[in-house]
Amino acid sequence: VNSRLLAAALVAASLGAGLFGAPPAVGAAAPVAETLKVPRIAYRERKLGNGMTALSVESHASPTVSVQVWYHVGGADDPDGRSGFAHLFEHMMFKGSKYMKSEQFDRLTEDVGGENNASTAEDVTAYQAVVPSNHLETLLWAEAERLLNLRVDAASFTSERAVVEEEYRQRILASPYGLFFEAVRTQPYLRHPYRRGVIGSIENLDAASVADVVAFHATHYRPDNATLVVTGDFDPRQLDAWVDKYFAPIPRPAAPLPRRDATEPAWSADRTITVKAPNVPLPAVATVWLAPPVTDADAPALQVAAALLTAGESSRLNQALVYRQQIATQASFSADLRAGPGLLIASAIAAGGKSPAAVRAALLAEVKRLADRPASRSELDKIKTMLLTQAFSSRQTPLGLGMALADAAVLGGDANRVNTDLDDLQRVSAADVQRVLRRYVTGAHSVAFDYVQGSTAK
Amino acid sequence: MTPPALRSLGSVLLSLLAGTASAQPFETPPPPAAPRPLAIAAPAEQALANGLRVIVAPREGVPLVTAMLVVLSGSELDPPQLSGLASMTASLLTQGTRRHTAPQIAAAAEALGGSLESGAGWSQSLVTITVTTPKLGAALGLVAEVTREPTFAPSELDRLRAQTLDALKVSYADPGSMAGLTAARLAYGSGAWGHPASGTPASLPRIRQGDLVALHRAAFRPDRAVLILTGDITLERALALARTHFGSWAAPAGVAPPQPPAPPTLAAGPAVAVVDMPAAGQAGVVLALPLPPRQGAERAAADVLDAVLGGGYSSRLNQEIRIKRGLSYAAYSRIEARGQSGLFQAALQTKNESAAEVVSLLKDELDRVMQTPVPADELASRKLTLIGGFSRSVETTAGLAAAIRSLVASGRSPAELKTRIAAIEAVGPEDIQRYAAGRFGAAGRRIAVAGVSERFVAALRAQAPELVVVGQDQLDLEHPGGLKRE
Repeated sequence: VNSRLLAAALVAASLGAGLFGAPPAVGAAAPVAETLKVPRIAYRERKLGNGMTALSVESHASPTVSVQVWYHVGGADDPDGRSGFAHLFEHMMFKGSKYMKSEQFDRLTEDVGGENNASTAEDVTAYQAVVPSNHLETLLWAEAERLLNLRVDAASFTSERAVVEEEYRQRILASPYGLFFEAVRTQPYLRHPYRRGVIGSIENLDAASVADVVAFHATHYRPDNATLVVTGDFDPRQLDAWVDKYFAPIPRPAAPLPRRDATEPAWSADRTITVKAPNVPLPAVATVWLAPPVTDADAPALQVAAALLTAGESSRLNQALVYRQQIATQASFSADLRAGPGLLIASAIAAGGKSPAAVRAALLAEVKRLADRPASRSELDKIKTMLLTQAFSSRQTPLGLGMALADAAVLGGDANRVNTDLDDLQRVSAADVQRVLRRYVTGAHSVAFDYVQGSTAK
Repeated sequence: MTPPALRSLGSVLLSLLAGTASAQPFETPPPPAAPRPLAIAAPAEQALANGLRVIVAPREGVPLVTAMLVVLSGSELDPPQLSGLASMTASLLTQGTRRHTAPQIAAAAEALGGSLESGAGWSQSLVTITVTTPKLGAALGLVAEVTREPTFAPSELDRLRAQTLDALKVSYADPGSMAGLTAARLAYGSGAWGHPASGTPASLPRIRQGDLVALHRAAFRPDRAVLILTGDITLERALALARTHFGSWAAPAGVAPPQPPAPPTLAAGPAVAVVDMPAAGQAGVVLALPLPPRQGAERAAADVLDAVLGGGYSSRLNQEIRIKRGLSYAAYSRIEARGQSGLFQAALQTKNESAAEVVSLLKDELDRVMQTPVPADELASRKLTLIGGFSRSVETTAGLAAAIRSLVASGRSPAELKTRIAAIEAVGPEDIQRYAAGRFGAAGRRIAVAGVSERFVAALRAQAPELVVVGQDQLDLEHPGGLKRE
């Protein structure tokens, strides 16, 4: 995920539908929840005549409101030869429209005590603002305006492209493990456009033009490809009237929505990839397998498996590799689930003086142990309690609440998942965890990565 | 603000698109409605008989509580040559007690749904956990146990030391963090407040179990501690829980270790340093400036000044460096507390070739705010940005606890939560200019640039002929006489 602003990168990180990506709600049947009265999230959903979806949840804990628009377009939709373009385009959405000056969006948010950010992932692009609730109508106008009337001039395009290239340098080149994790998330794919990554390359960014911006907006930024999410302090009838006033008149283009033609063949052999960088303080390893889509029935069991291995200091990988064996400085197993085929990523950074081969062996041994022997009841309960607490924590603010709802609706395909995802997690058994690990991990082909010091072209 | 050009290819095509949508008649943004008042309550506070302050800030609507035990001393107590001692001491609290091993403590905490975290900073050491309301009693039991009964086993010290040394290898390979560590050292010289709180590759191997035990015995005492509880909790329940878990905690005989003198505002040593990192993918640039303890209205004036310069997307540094020139992804500033003093830092990363140019832009912006009053509309918007950020930061139980913690660690009253918005609103352009003129002059500025020095050192030397260059392998951030190992 790449963001307009660095400061919000952590908040935006949950867009990727990782472990805590779709913070789940609590089901009445959940054992953990029996000691708590946990209300369902009472969201409202409207479908406008032009195909746009409008979701909302009232909460009056503070006089603020979050306005988010998520577009169903991401790095996987980059035009050919333009990797990184969906993300560059996201930056251009702040550079003016027919009735808004460049950066005026900041005048309407930051300057009145609010904030805004945007982020691009493989499958979605999210625009997120929080404002004092008396500014809600203004923000709805502004989001409608840049959906309808984006204008981009050559000077601001060139300048903002330089910013995105500095973002690339900061995330990928200057960060000691930037190049490694970018490679791990992209290079395993044989054919799927996920192979190109979201941040792209300097060469492809340099090749982009204002004409590309125009074409991309016309193709993907349309009401039937957008989900509006409003959470916080508002009056529902007033919200409906404003949505009707500003969004409903936006015409749905006659052309059908483009369908992403993207598949990934089953992997028929194990592969190894060595990534070299000039600045590797400690070597790192990763092993990667293909995952089913985030909407697959096996997704909850994979998320629980990842949490058993990685969540918290008491997690299996931390206890084995970092605490007992002391061969890694950090170790994780993440379920990077996406709209299309995602990745299961086991990775570790070696402790000083430890052999990467030994680190990989220890990492794989822990994953295999979970596939071979069932987790105990108490260990499963621990993980489910952590997931529940995490969900409460992330939903305390209008922004976090809106993100959970948008994530369910846009990536999960159904807003009601915000209320059913934790039910699904609570139902996961130790046998389910073993079954999915055997199917997708121990019984499947993988790509092994080594990250070592060495010269590469910059 | 430049209006968009209407003759580019992009605009022409987009006009066609817009032409299909005559249904949007709204050429100007609708005005805001009447604002709803924003009120942040003052926390309640009461002390136990042993001196432990209990501070409670209720937040309704979410069945969560954050518990945070803060001891009011930290890295400023690190002795010379033992940088990182307070940090190691606090981090090891959760790694074994008289009753439980480190893995048992982690498992117990996480079975409650939270993660038990501990660590130290300037003027503070803390243990914290966030759990759902029914788990609070058990969680406080763990907080009390690790605070009062840590064992600091040598095997745990060795483990954490090795992990910390590895983490330093990573941060020393990152030009942004390298520049930040170096700038703080330049700003404070060799005194108590300029060493790296996380230790150095030279200092960490010197730390012994006896050092940890002695610091814990002297500093962790109820009459120098604060228990903060935020979220789904009342003062009455908080006091009952505090008595159960901390009531028998007795202060040791003797006085608590005194804080070292406040840091200097004009350090000896170089004003500009370059850390040569031949493989760095970017240059990290940090300008640091020590601020003396702020009194009364000065505090809000400095915070608004910081917001004008580098708070939020539209601040002056980001305007000049990112928005106008595309030289960085983010340029920002902050004031970090050092006891009652503060360290202003402006920071960014840029391609190596641009490092000297951004240093010049940073200095220009500091000069400008000293020489010219901030225009009224800019001042109004930056104050609202600051107020909005503060308001959102206390919307979560953990954020609310952190806000109270930073107040008490700086020796201030938690009641300032309630008065902070009014204090920011009261700042005028003359307050900012006066503060900037008195505190932001060239004499106090210290600049560190970490990156591929051959790509920028000549241009930087033209601005700062006295600059020093240190190879990343020679850097010693604990060295009293300079930055270089002998």
